[in-house]
Amino acid sequence: MTTFVARRLLLLPLVAFGVTILIFALLQFLTPAQRAALFVTDPRQLSQIDAIIRKYGLDKPVHVQYWTWLKQLAQGDLGWSQTARMPTSTALATFFPATLELTIYIFIPVVLIGLWLGTKAAVRKDQFVDHFSRFFAISLRGLPSFVWGLIVLMVFYGWLNWFPPGRLSLDADLFVKSPEFHRYTRLMTVDALLNGQPWIFVDALRHIVGPAMTLVLVEMALIVRITRSSMLEVLRQDYVRTARAKGLAEPVVINRHARKNALIPVVTLTSLIFVGLLGGVVLAETIFNYPGIGKWGAEAAVQLDIPGVTGFGMFIALVTVVGNLAADILYAAIDPRIRLQ
Amino acid sequence: MSLKRRLLMLLVFTLAVALTGVNGVAQGQAVKNPDTLIVQSFGDVATLDPAVAYDTVSSGTFLWNIYETLIFFNGGRTDLYEPMLATEVPSVANGGISADGKTYTFKIRQGVKFHDGSVMTTDDVRYSLMRFMLLDADGGPSWILLASILGFDVQSTRDDNGKLLPDIWDRVNQAIQVKGNSVVITLKDPYGPFLNIMASWSMVVSKRFVVKNGGWDGAKTNVAQYNNPPKPEDATLFDKSDGTGPFKLDSWDHATGNVTLTRFDGYWRAPAKLSRIVIQKVEEFGPRRLALQNGDADIIDVSRADQPAVTGISGVRIVDDLAQLSTNNALFMNLNVNAEGNPDIGTGKLDGNGIPPNFFSDVHVRRAFAHLFDRQAFIDQALRGKGRIANGPIPFGMLGYNPRGKWYEVSKDKAIAEFKEAWGGQVWNNGFKFSVLYNSGNVTRQTEAQMVKEAAESLNPKFKIDTRGVTWSSILGLMNQKKLPMFIIGWAADYADPDNFAVPFMHSTGTYPGRQSYKNPEADRLIEQAGKETDAKKREALYFRIQEIAYQDVPTIYTAYPTAFVVMRSWVKGWYHNPMFFQTWQDAYRLSKGQ
Repeated sequence: MTTFVARRLLLLPLVAFGVTILIFALLQFLTPAQRAALFVTDPRQLSQIDAIIRKYGLDKPVHVQYWTWLKQLAQGDLGWSQTARMPTSTALATFFPATLELTIYIFIPVVLIGLWLGTKAAVRKDQFVDHFSRFFAISLRGLPSFVWGLIVLMVFYGWLNWFPPGRLSLDADLFVKSPEFHRYTRLMTVDALLNGQPWIFVDALRHIVGPAMTLVLVEMALIVRITRSSMLEVLRQDYVRTARAKGLAEPVVINRHARKNALIPVVTLTSLIFVGLLGGVVLAETIFNYPGIGKWGAEAAVQLDIPGVTGFGMFIALVTVVGNLAADILYAAIDPRIRLQ
Repeated sequence: MSLKRRLLMLLVFTLAVALTGVNGVAQGQAVKNPDTLIVQSFGDVATLDPAVAYDTVSSGTFLWNIYETLIFFNGGRTDLYEPMLATEVPSVANGGISADGKTYTFKIRQGVKFHDGSVMTTDDVRYSLMRFMLLDADGGPSWILLASILGFDVQSTRDDNGKLLPDIWDRVNQAIQVKGNSVVITLKDPYGPFLNIMASWSMVVSKRFVVKNGGWDGAKTNVAQYNNPPKPEDATLFDKSDGTGPFKLDSWDHATGNVTLTRFDGYWRAPAKLSRIVIQKVEEFGPRRLALQNGDADIIDVSRADQPAVTGISGVRIVDDLAQLSTNNALFMNLNVNAEGNPDIGTGKLDGNGIPPNFFSDVHVRRAFAHLFDRQAFIDQALRGKGRIANGPIPFGMLGYNPRGKWYEVSKDKAIAEFKEAWGGQVWNNGFKFSVLYNSGNVTRQTEAQMVKEAAESLNPKFKIDTRGVTWSSILGLMNQKKLPMFIIGWAADYADPDNFAVPFMHSTGTYPGRQSYKNPEADRLIEQAGKETDAKKREALYFRIQEIAYQDVPTIYTAYPTAFVVMRSWVKGWYHNPMFFQTWQDAYRLSKGQ
């Protein structure tokens, strides 16, 4: 097990290296002037483009530029992100906790409700709950998440004024910035409780509900569908029939014998969802003006913020490798037949 | 955001508003956050250092709120001033301007305090001006004072190799002197727009504060070390400040992009009415609109296309048709395109599948396009009817704008006649193919490009134009390489003077002519002469002649001078418009909230 984990972790620098090479190669499609133009925001600064190209060595051969960048990286310098207005490493450390917090609040209900509803639908195939879950899943997946986002925003903020966008309201934000508030984890709801400030917790939660609700609706639909089909498959197996024949109670058959075996594809999907969410839920973060990593990553890409995009790319590589590793470990926990060497 | 997505969002919004039929805050409801002004803006602050910032959001945040200038605009006027950190506006009459128009004396107000409680001195004023000129970050505004004080040819503190000019500190030091309670600035040449420049760009910072935070101490010996900071954060005042303005910086939250300012109680005038200003970055229009409706935002950014979605919300005030000092959406033609690996000129030959690099050097081609472009239709279709037909670089409302300036009438016949004359008839017989480029996401410019395409292609089946939207940095990068055959871009004023428009549009060393290979020595001469002229009547006559050249040579097709509008809660009081303001809340000192 330890060797397996270690080997997978060793892959990490390789993947990150590959990602940076890929990003660098793609960037070479842009002329030095186009890359230099990132540093200017207005036509009146055009006369300085040549100076910028010289200053950052943008006209040097690509391997030289890459080597310079690697040397900086070795010193822990990921460069200055023009879109975040801070060093890329600080940007990652700033935006990631917000996304992680949002992801947790999305992930838990997605898995719990998704599994429950998917199982119910399989067990009561062709009954009301099954039709309902199918209708529910298809209609939720059928609309793009930004449409859901806008609807949630309009109903719950525009109309009811329950769940405002952003991360904190004005008063809470001022309090959090004051020296009285200590940031232990950078997860706002957790920090609020650790500081003994339940009103900050409630305020932070109110701001998470909107984007979380949007994504729970969309992501849960997938889990419901996969759980249902996987469960149906398993329920047809001989050992389930045997279990029932032995006279085991139905909940035991479903929960212990069938569901555990049906979980493999669900775990794969869940890990993908988790990694996807951590990589940034761009649209939800943008619509709800939630300062997460996806919103920043997308902005960096659109504005050709090279250090930002590269740092973001490496971060996603890391999250993906770790996420897949977690899924592999989970497989083994669920199914002893999967032996990890 | 793609057009499709925008449309869909608009649709969803309209639907929801129609469905709910309710607006969150009914009229007459109590003012939310009565002593805090909340602004939701599309962009965010890039830097708070006044010597580095050169974008409207950054400058709009600190200018006159955190930092103040020696003189200020009088109400909505851009040509009349009132004293601010100086005690009077220099003029020839009060001896503040020398008879030769080269020496300006600013009497400095005494007893003004910085936010840290220290007292502002004449030395701080001199230091601030020197720092503004000598910091000179790439892409920064330092050239504005450099060129106006040291002469037109000094646009930078560095030579072509990026090395600091050895005598630059001496020249700046010589030009700006302290005499008693006054700061005396000596210009190399008389320069008409100088007072106007000082009204926006003479921000005073505390020298003590800068030095204490590791910044430049004003000495010649270490100026190279602080010149052109490699990263924005390397400029000392990037995220901290010590000015004299009515508000001081409380925080700049990089994660959200939000900036909070709080009232400065030691302000030299009566303290501001608002106790706090919060500027929030909200990129999407949807949440901004709802925040306005719910009263969570007092002022929001709205694009012209989104205007209908904020119209009719109770408790919301829209002020429209505001003058803007800008010449936007002009259509530029490049007289000598860089053909190297350039897909935008096709084959590079006049064979119906491309254009030669010097295609637009034939004035008949340029005039043909001028006859084709229907400016009024453009204003109606792309600007929702809000704008004034343009006829030259200098916008309406500014000295030098010629209301009777000639332009080409819209006429297919005349366009055909010009095309038939161009390139000895080859253009009409062989046809052409090239691209019109604009920055993607700008729907106005996209519409404009489409109009050019449709007008030209309707004349002759052999005429082919591609419209191509590329990112903003690509437009700038390609333009700098002279690779764009035809492109759409605009210009907004750095200072309210025709010089700031004539140079970038018509002078061969200006921003655009340099990139469209246009040079007319007569235009250059007139522009330089007009810059030095201090008599308004004579200047106007010179700018009329420059407009005449812009019409005759037509390197650029001017389309419209757009007007602006602002959207705010009705409870915001004290607001007024000055075309030189970058932001609605720029003179926040006068703003308050109340029913």
